[in-house]
Amino acid sequence: MDIKQRLKALLQEAEIYRTQGLVTEAHAKYKDAADLINSIANLKNKESLLGAIANKISGLESSREKTEKTAGAPELSSRAQDLIKNLFVFSENRGEDGAVLEGAVALAKFGQFDRAIVELKELLQKEAVRVEAAKNILRCHLSAASSEEAVNQYHQWMGGDLFPPDQLETVRAYLEEILQQRGVTADLPSPLMPAAAGETQSEDSIHEVEAEAETEELMDVTSIGITFDAGPRKGRSVEFDVNFQSGNTLSLIISKQESELIESLSTGMKLKDVQFFSPIAIFNGSGVVTSKTQIKSGPKHGDYCLDIRIVSS
Amino acid sequence: MAIFNLKKREIECKVVYYGPGRCGKTTNLEYIFGAYKKQVKGEMVSINTEGDRTLFFDFLPLGLGQIRGCNVRVQLYTVPGQVKYSSTRKLVLRGVDGIVFVADSLEVRREKNMLSLKDLQGNLKEYGKSIFQVPLIMQYNKRDLAEQGIPLMPIEQMERDLNRQLKVPSFGASAVKGVGVGVTLKECLKATLKSLQREFKWAQ
Repeated sequence: MDIKQRLKALLQEAEIYRTQGLVTEAHAKYKDAADLINSIANLKNKESLLGAIANKISGLESSREKTEKTAGAPELSSRAQDLIKNLFVFSENRGEDGAVLEGAVALAKFGQFDRAIVELKELLQKEAVRVEAAKNILRCHLSAASSEEAVNQYHQWMGGDLFPPDQLETVRAYLEEILQQRGVTADLPSPLMPAAAGETQSEDSIHEVEAEAETEELMDVTSIGITFDAGPRKGRSVEFDVNFQSGNTLSLIISKQESELIESLSTGMKLKDVQFFSPIAIFNGSGVVTSKTQIKSGPKHGDYCLDIRIVSS
Repeated sequence: MAIFNLKKREIECKVVYYGPGRCGKTTNLEYIFGAYKKQVKGEMVSINTEGDRTLFFDFLPLGLGQIRGCNVRVQLYTVPGQVKYSSTRKLVLRGVDGIVFVADSLEVRREKNMLSLKDLQGNLKEYGKSIFQVPLIMQYNKRDLAEQGIPLMPIEQMERDLNRQLKVPSFGASAVKGVGVGVTLKECLKATLKSLQREFKWAQ
């Protein structure tokens, strides 16, 4: 192939890559073409050819910049948001609060924070999903705005009467841990009485030592098996389905019928021998019961919602 | 995961078009949307960003009518191909029943194809699925560019790179011209429904 044909082929290739949106590949071919032109000693229109190629390369650069600038999630139309909610809820019973929560979390995952917050705030009225809704509101603030926004939200809840102290403490501990991971120090007063807060503090110190696992990296846990080291079920393993997972915190619902089990699990209790079942693996570890709340309304009225934080795995 | 309504004799399954950025996943869906009007059961939804790159996903609902006494509906999705949208890809892949892996035939995209296939395998694994077991069809797209003198990988090389171990059905295609799009989809639906039939045994 003579030089003229080679140049023509390179430019054609570069142009096709450009139209295909393959910016890096187009850039490389234009550069090859420019190098080839430079290697020809007595080319008549050398400068104008190099100028045209430089223009093409600069066009590619600005297109790359535009793409990078718009990398954040745009606010979608309400129709598209509805579609996301519809397509990314996997619970069978779509009317249940858990499914509504799943829809709001899906919106947040697709960066639709404003609407997610509106829907999550409505869920704060629902006892069974209040804590998870609150945690996700904080996550939205942390992703969309700043840590300050999340801290302000916590203070607002602290000043209101929506949350029972034990629920708010769970939310506080959750926010505190995320802020610590980000290296942010914030004043997050505990809603518990000083003595109780002290107990929670010691539980938190366990997390500081042991919770090394990246919250975001944790795989989905579908159920857990707890081997009791005390009480009437000592030495026996009991398996529970995980109803909801947020980072390294698993929420389980225990039927009110299981009073013996409920009594043997208390807030702050360390569970030394836990098996975590995920769709792809089983791993052993330990956990801490971070909250135990009786559900006061809805179809699961009287049952208990238990939050267990994975502290090592 | 497919939804099977025994009472209504309805089955709804999910097929995802996977592949590296700019390989032609959205173009496949656009062609299907235009060419299979009878089967298309709603608008095609695309959520794009600057330069028409898929930001979240494309979605196209199809209705295949009665198959062995069961009304079959299919949801087609594409994932965003760019490496940085990893979490969105994973989310879209959740509950998948069948996959079309769209590979770019351009020589310069050889490595991207392999990385994307590896990414697919990793994401499926996280959902407890094996790439060897999920219904999967390979499509080698952009074959038409050979006419314009653009260096493409020979099909044999793409088979060696991507399909040596998987040994799944594969098709050359030009999504922009509609060549190979229909046959890829049909083969994927066939494999998907066969797998669902084994799981739900609805036709027995």
